[in-house]
Amino acid sequence: MALSDIINPKSGQAFMMCNEAIVRAGIESDVKVVSFYPGAPTSEILDTFGAAQAHFDYHFSIATNEKVALETVAGASMAGFRTLTSMKSVGLNVAADAFFSLGYTGTKGGMVVVVADDPHCHSSQSEEDGRFFGPGAYIPMMEPADPSEARRMVMHAFEVSERHRVPVLVRTTTRVNHQSGIVRLGPVKRKAFKKAKWSEVGETYFTVGEIARRNKLKALERAAALQNEFEDSAFNVVTKGKGDFGIITSGVGYCYAVDAGRALKIKPHILKLGTTYPLPEKKITAFLKPLKRVAVVEELSPYLEHAVKRIIHDQGLAVAVMGKGTGHFSEALEYNVSIVAQALAAMTGADNPLEYETILKRANDLKSVLPDRIPIFCAGCPHRATLRAIQQAIKGRNVIYNNDIGCYSMAFFPPLNFSDSMLCMGASLGLSAGMAPVLEDSVMAMVGDSTFFHAALPGLVNAVYQNLNITIFILDNEVTAMTGQQVHMGTPEGRGMPPGKKRIMIEEVCRAIGVEHLKVVDAYDVKGNVALIKAALDFQGPAVIVFRRSCALHGDRIKRRSGVPIIPNAVDKAACQKPHACIREFYCPAITFDADDRAARIQPETCDGCGVCAQICRFGAIHPVSAKGPGKEKKK
Amino acid sequence: MSGKKGFDMVLAGVGGQGIVMLSNALGNACLAAGQKVITGELHGLSQRSGSVYIHMRIGGDVLSPLIPYGQADAIVSLEGMEALRYIEYLKENGVIIMNSRLIHPPVEVARLSREKRVDFVALDSILEKMKVVTSGIAAIDALSLAHKAGEPLAENAVFIGALSCLASFPLSAEQLKKGLLRVLPEQAAEKNMRAFDLGQQAAYETLCGQLECRMP
Repeated sequence: MALSDIINPKSGQAFMMCNEAIVRAGIESDVKVVSFYPGAPTSEILDTFGAAQAHFDYHFSIATNEKVALETVAGASMAGFRTLTSMKSVGLNVAADAFFSLGYTGTKGGMVVVVADDPHCHSSQSEEDGRFFGPGAYIPMMEPADPSEARRMVMHAFEVSERHRVPVLVRTTTRVNHQSGIVRLGPVKRKAFKKAKWSEVGETYFTVGEIARRNKLKALERAAALQNEFEDSAFNVVTKGKGDFGIITSGVGYCYAVDAGRALKIKPHILKLGTTYPLPEKKITAFLKPLKRVAVVEELSPYLEHAVKRIIHDQGLAVAVMGKGTGHFSEALEYNVSIVAQALAAMTGADNPLEYETILKRANDLKSVLPDRIPIFCAGCPHRATLRAIQQAIKGRNVIYNNDIGCYSMAFFPPLNFSDSMLCMGASLGLSAGMAPVLEDSVMAMVGDSTFFHAALPGLVNAVYQNLNITIFILDNEVTAMTGQQVHMGTPEGRGMPPGKKRIMIEEVCRAIGVEHLKVVDAYDVKGNVALIKAALDFQGPAVIVFRRSCALHGDRIKRRSGVPIIPNAVDKAACQKPHACIREFYCPAITFDADDRAARIQPETCDGCGVCAQICRFGAIHPVSAKGPGKEKKK
Repeated sequence: MSGKKGFDMVLAGVGGQGIVMLSNALGNACLAAGQKVITGELHGLSQRSGSVYIHMRIGGDVLSPLIPYGQADAIVSLEGMEALRYIEYLKENGVIIMNSRLIHPPVEVARLSREKRVDFVALDSILEKMKVVTSGIAAIDALSLAHKAGEPLAENAVFIGALSCLASFPLSAEQLKKGLLRVLPEQAAEKNMRAFDLGQQAAYETLCGQLECRMP
C-alpha cells in the first residue's frame, strides 16, 4: 500500500492490507469522525487514518482508551455523523459498558466498530472471542474474510447502521486484519464537513428504568428486522457442491475450508456467513435441509456450531453436526489449511495429500540448531535501564512484582525473568491494592505512560485514597511504544504531539491526586536511580517514581529526521576483562563478543548510543566512539 | 491440489529489516502485472529483533493467507537463520534465497558467554540442515552488495533482484523493478536499481547450474 492509494479520489485497484482497506472504506463512505486507542492487530487502521488525515475533513483523535474512543464516535453518530472506531478484542472489554448501552439507546449517523480477535494470542493476553458482544448487546455483527470483502462490508455496515439506527460491529481476526491483497476501490465522493444543530437532530439517547425497558423491546424488534434483512444479504454466500456433506463457516475459516476442500478433492456445499448476528436462520435452515452431515469451521468458541445445533433442533432436521463437539476441531489456537484438511479428511474419509506431522517433525529436527529469537527490548530502550536499576535496588528484599501491558511486559522474558503477574491494562495497580494488605513483601506495580492514562489512573487514585503501601513505577517513554509509537496524552510538543493539543504531565496528575512520595528521574541514570528506588520501597504509603526517557525507536527516528547524529558506543578491547555483564545481564541486541578474543563488541549499526551498558561495565571499557582513546575498534 | 497452482513464498527476517516494504514492493509489482496476490503477515508488535514473516501467494486458486506446510515454492529471508526457521513451509527442492549474514540474537550470545563457548551458529550448519530439503539455495551477502550499490539500506532490492532470476517466478525483472520503484522514495531509486541488478547477478551465478534461471 502507498498513502497515495488511500487518498486516491478515483476508483481503481490497490495492493492493500485489510486494515488499510477498512480505512479506504471509511473514506469512501464519507466518515466524519474517527477515534481510537491503538492495539494489535488493528493499529494500522489508526495509523492509516492518521497518515491520511491531512487530505480529508474527518476528525481524527487518539483517545485515552477504547471506551472513550467508542463514546467519542458514538457521540458524533448521535449528532448525525458517520463514524468509525476499531479496537482489539480486549479493547472492547474496556469499551463494553458503553457498547452494551448503545444497543439500547441506538445511534443516528452510520457507526462502525471494528473489533479484532487474536486466535493464537499472537499479541494479546487471551484468545477472547468477540463474537459474543454482538448478540449480548443486540448489536448487528458482520465478519469479512479478506481485504476486498472488508472494504465492501464496512461500506455496507454504514448503511445498515443508518437504516437500523444502531452501531454495526465488524469482527475480524489477526489473519484477516494482517492479510493483504488486491482491493477494488470505488470513487471518493465526500460532502464538505459542516457542523449540525442539536435542535435539528431531534433525538434523545437516554436509557434507565422504564425508558430502558422500552429500549430493550425496541432492540428486540430491531434484531428481528435485522435478521429479516440479513436473510437476503449478499454477504451470506452458498457455494453448491456435491453429495450430502456441507460446511458452514465465516471469516478466514472460509478461506481455509475452501483450500482444504480443494486439497482433498472433495466438493462440499459451503455456506459462508458474513452476517453473524443476527444469523440468517432461514438461509441456514434451507442450506441444512438437503444435508446429512455438516461441518462447522470456525476458530475459537463454537459460536456458529451451537447456533447450527439449535436451528437443527428447532427445525426438526436430521443433520449431524461435526466440529468442536465431535472433537474434530479445537477451541484453542488458530487454524490453517493443514488443520482444516485433516479434520475434513477425518469427517469424509477423503485421502489427505497434505502432509503435516512428518513435515513438522523433520522441520523441528532441522531447526534444533537455531537459537530462539524472542522479542527483546530494542537497543537504547529505556525500560532495559529502568529494570536494571529496579533489580539492583531489590536485592535482599522480598518483593512482589505486578507487571502491566506494554513493551515492559517483556521483563518476564530472559535475562530478567521478572514478573509475578500481568493481567490486563492497568491491573498492576488494582492487583497491588489486593496484595499490599495481605502480603509481607514489598508490593511493586509497574505501568507504562500510555497504560497509565488508559486504565491505571483509577487504580492510582484508589491506592492514594486507601493509603496503600505500594511502590509504583511509571515508565514514561513519550509514546504508546508497543503498538507502533503512537502519541498519547503525555507526548511532549516537538515529539509528536499534534498541534492544538494539551500535554498532560504524569507527575502533575500524581501530585494533584495526593501522591506524597514522588520522583521524576531519567531512566538512563541506572546508578542514581537505585538509591531512589530503595527509598521509595522504604516509604510508608504509595510512592511513585516516573522514569522518563524517549522510546529508542521513536527518539532515533526523530534524531534521524532532524539530522542529530546517533553516536554509537564501542568497547575498548584492552580494558574489557570479559565477565560479559553487558551481555549476560543486559541482552542488548547491539552487543555481542568476538570468537577470537572473547572481548565484547558493540555493533555500531545497531547501537543507539544510550550508554547504559557503560554503567554496567565495571571496568570502564565502554565509551562513545567519538571519545578519545578507545572506541577506534575496527569494523568486522 | 486441484485448481491453478501459483507461486507461494515465505518472506522472513528480523523485525526492523523492512520485510513489510519487501512485501509491498512485490505486491505492487503483482498488481501492475495483473497477477492475483494475497499475503498473511505476522508483525504485530513494534519491538525490533523478533522473528517476522509474511506468506505471499501469487496467482493460483487459493484463498488462505497462510501457505500449507511443505507447499512453498520459495523462502526469501533477509537474515540467514530465519530462512531455516520456516523450513516446514518449503516444498521438497523449493528455492531458498537468503542472506549469508547471520544476526545472532542476544539469547544465543548470552548462552555462549555463560558457557564460555565461542561456537556461534554458523552459516555452514544452517546450509547443511537446509540441504536435507533442497539444494536450490542462494546465500547472498546482501549487505556488501547493497554497499556496492551505494546504499546499505537496499538489501531488500538485492533480494527482489535475486527473485527475478528464477524462471518459475511469475513476474519479470521489469515488472519487479516497477513494483519496487512504486514504494521507494524517488531519490533512492537509482541505487536500489543497482542493488536489484547485483542481486539478480548473484542469484544467477549461484542457482543457474541447479535450476532454470533467467539470464540477467
